[in-house]
Amino acid sequence: MIPTRRTLLAALAAVGTLASLTACGGGSGSSDSSSGKAGGTYTFWDPYPQFDASSAWGKLVTGCGTKAGVKLKRTAYDTTDLGNKALLAAQQGNAPDVMLVDNPVVSTLVEAGILNKTSDLGLDTKAIQKNIIGAGTIDNASYGVPIGANTLALYYNKKVLSAAGVDAASIKDWNSLTAALKKVKAAGKKGITFSAINTEEGSFQFLPWFWGAGGDLTKLNSARGVAALSLWKQWVDAGYAPKDVLQNTQTTSWQEFATGDYAFGENGTWQLGNAAKAGFDYGIINIPGQNGGSAPVPTGGEFVTVPVQKDTGRYDVSKKIVTCLTSDANLLPTDTTLQYVAPTAAVQAEQVKQNPKLKPWVDAVAAARGRTSGGLGTKYPTISQPMWTAVQAALSGSKSPQDALDTAQSSAQKG
Amino acid sequence: MTIARVDRPRRAASAAAGASGTDAESLRRRHRRRSRLTALAFVTPLLAYLAAFYLYPLYRNLDLSLRDYTVRSFVAGDAPFSGWDNFQKVLDDPTFGPAMRHTMVFTFVSIAFQYVIGLALAVFFNRHFRLAPTLRALFLIPWLLPLIVSASTWSWMFNSESGVVNYFLHFLGVSPVGWLTSPDWALTSVIVANIWIGIPFNLVILYSGLQNIPADLYEAAALDGASAWQQFRRITFPLLRPVSAITLLLGLVYTLKVFDLIWIMTKGGPGDASSTLATWSYQLGFGTLLPKFGPGAAVGNILILIALVFGLLYIRVQRRQEA
Amino acid sequence: MKSRTPARRYTVIGLVLTALMLFPVYWMLNVSLTPQQDMRKDPPDLLPLHPTFEGYKAVLDDQLPYLGTSLLIGLGTVALTLLLAAPAGYSLAKLRPRGGGALGLGLLIAQMIPGIVMAMGFYGIFLDFGLLNSWWGLIIADSTIAVPFGVMIFTAFMSGIPGELIAASRIDGAGTFRTFWSVVLPVSRNALVTVSLFSFLWAWSDFVFANTLDGGGDLRPITLGIYKYIGNNNQEWNAIMATAVVASVPAAVLLVLAQRYVAAGVTAGAVKD
Repeated sequence: MIPTRRTLLAALAAVGTLASLTACGGGSGSSDSSSGKAGGTYTFWDPYPQFDASSAWGKLVTGCGTKAGVKLKRTAYDTTDLGNKALLAAQQGNAPDVMLVDNPVVSTLVEAGILNKTSDLGLDTKAIQKNIIGAGTIDNASYGVPIGANTLALYYNKKVLSAAGVDAASIKDWNSLTAALKKVKAAGKKGITFSAINTEEGSFQFLPWFWGAGGDLTKLNSARGVAALSLWKQWVDAGYAPKDVLQNTQTTSWQEFATGDYAFGENGTWQLGNAAKAGFDYGIINIPGQNGGSAPVPTGGEFVTVPVQKDTGRYDVSKKIVTCLTSDANLLPTDTTLQYVAPTAAVQAEQVKQNPKLKPWVDAVAAARGRTSGGLGTKYPTISQPMWTAVQAALSGSKSPQDALDTAQSSAQKG
Repeated sequence: MTIARVDRPRRAASAAAGASGTDAESLRRRHRRRSRLTALAFVTPLLAYLAAFYLYPLYRNLDLSLRDYTVRSFVAGDAPFSGWDNFQKVLDDPTFGPAMRHTMVFTFVSIAFQYVIGLALAVFFNRHFRLAPTLRALFLIPWLLPLIVSASTWSWMFNSESGVVNYFLHFLGVSPVGWLTSPDWALTSVIVANIWIGIPFNLVILYSGLQNIPADLYEAAALDGASAWQQFRRITFPLLRPVSAITLLLGLVYTLKVFDLIWIMTKGGPGDASSTLATWSYQLGFGTLLPKFGPGAAVGNILILIALVFGLLYIRVQRRQEA
Repeated sequence: MKSRTPARRYTVIGLVLTALMLFPVYWMLNVSLTPQQDMRKDPPDLLPLHPTFEGYKAVLDDQLPYLGTSLLIGLGTVALTLLLAAPAGYSLAKLRPRGGGALGLGLLIAQMIPGIVMAMGFYGIFLDFGLLNSWWGLIIADSTIAVPFGVMIFTAFMSGIPGELIAASRIDGAGTFRTFWSVVLPVSRNALVTVSLFSFLWAWSDFVFANTLDGGGDLRPITLGIYKYIGNNNQEWNAIMATAVVASVPAAVLLVLAQRYVAAGVTAGAVKD
């Protein structure tokens, strides 16, 4: 009887310990957020899980904390999770002190009321390019400082183009691009690869063509929008672009381009490092508009934001941390590691000096638009999702471009 | 509190032991009470656990689906009660019909194939031949792989341009198939991958069920001149029925909720050609930049409702079999 | 059961079936050895003709601590699952508590709920309890996959234990717990091994919970170690696949050992005598 009882008690004790563990865990959690003032622990979130504490970025974050006189605890989340985690944490009154988020998420977080205005914090954003900070600007107030920007252009394979007898400089508009793709295909190579996946990435990649036709996001099914989708569909149907663009992320699309079989690949600044390793000569042209000129491209990249805290005394330190992270001296190495274009003219000049290959990208970023800019804000996500669905429907052949975009427009209007 | 509740039956037990033989009627009553409380003591930790880690999240989910959440009211926690609005919205959505159909097709086709293949393999490996234990163990490998990896591997193999499946088809003279990019094939492709992942599970359970069938039954049947097929039909299958039931049930349980596999391979696409209730729920709640928590939770709850229906159905079938 | 001659044929068939089944695993190995620029080669290389060991080098340099964490979490999950599920299974099978049927149904449904549906509620609770980003929190979360399963398996196996065995133990003067501990549990070794195996494997390969609840922890499991190779816009697939290969090795060893146990565990058959 006695051993039996002891074992049972041990089992119950284990359950009890569990309960007390959770209880004291809760206690320490709440004390964590209330301990403000200098010398405390501040929390920092970013979407760069690929960088650990020993990386240059990790060290920079820790260093900026130390400089501000606090211990900065950095947590890296997957970029797709970060926005939702921030909402949940804010709901529980546990938002991080400083948070780096992808630019289209900023407007969602502002809508949720969990971000501070940069002006309220006293952060200086004058030096930052207008169109880059635009994605974090709602009703003329900015809610974050961009850490860097990236955008899309067309990488091309010099060998494939010359074998097909195409001069990259001759590509000025959609017609000349399609003609080039035709020649490439006739020469036995593959045309172009991009990402038309059913996520935000797909919309990001479609936008240069949509905007390049003069499309307006509030009227997806206009003739211009249909023209852009028809262009992509024409490429897929004619075999200029592979069928698997439908499941391509920007990474897999890059991997296709890196095989050396493709003439063109629509991809971003961040592939420059891989491009150097690809083992063939490549060039970069801006994405052409329908009737010539460069198409407006969407800006990518993250913003440093300061979420609302109950204890407003924490903002002083947070401000110091943000200032440190976005100082010119720190932006240069950060944007070099991330392969982003810096948000300020001074640092951009420095970057081009170090690596002249960045020049076309700096120009492209200068001409780029924020997805949530122009007063779209949180309307953008409700447009983007129907848009990528329409792209998928049209390219997979289940709907015509017009039908697909009609459906998209009506569901975008429903919100 | 838990301890007090457990202590009582113990004391009752020793009291009962001491008073044995004095009053048979009260002893029996005490016995009954004691055994009831012991039964309770054995499940109490489980109940507490379920309440904390199942009921409470479920309650939150139900609450989410019954309120009109925007991101702002989500954070502030003051979303107005909206009754069945979210459910109505979801039911009216053009995605609902296809998602429901895909969920059913995905679930039942997967289970049917997993079970039949798993059973065939279990019977096969139950024969004693060289390497049988080794090969059986190797069969379990698919199950060891993190889903993110196995799903990615399948999506590479099914790639329409450079996938190895189309490469093999090419040797057979079949023209390439857009496995994941054609609306006609996407669902089939994810089902194939899901069957592959589910086979080891079925194999393990059914095989350990076979081990429990006494060998002398087969020996007796063999003496009576029963063929292998007759042995299977008359002995293996009937005696395996309880294990089969649990295998099928667990298959249902795990297939109905498959999410990661489809999400990694097609994200429910192209369009919504392979979206199920689980992926749609995720798509609504997490898949866009502006989460729609309410409708997302509503789809999740519909899924739970379906699970409930299946659970009741299973229990009814089981009761009828026992009766 | 006729003679021993067809045995060789079975071995051959078995080998062919295994090869078919394991082809995707081979393909994963192949990818783990493929250099970045050949990832999307058309047609693909069926053999890693130009293998690169970059992926493995990266993994061996980076991933060993993650493997340790995974082991810890896997074993913790097994312990917690057995602790909760075995007594409950016994109770449901043999002691028949009031409301047992409803509990069984509840467990059934609990299992059908996609983790992703629960994720949001979980995140909130974990935040409240301060369990976020801790290894023990992840053990609790991972056990939610295995506990309902464990209870069902234990209930199913234990209801097969003959009542006489338990009655005999009672007559010998053992209490319910003693009976459970020294009669029922040893006899249920098959179920114990099965449940342990499953809960370990689920915990070992869990990605969804780890990502949601332990994404920022100091001790992270191997499935999150993969994140080192998944950047914002870039993924190093050979390293990811190499991680998967490395992660499979300890699990495979365990599986083979446990397999032998299950195979040797004719105990359930012995009970029936």
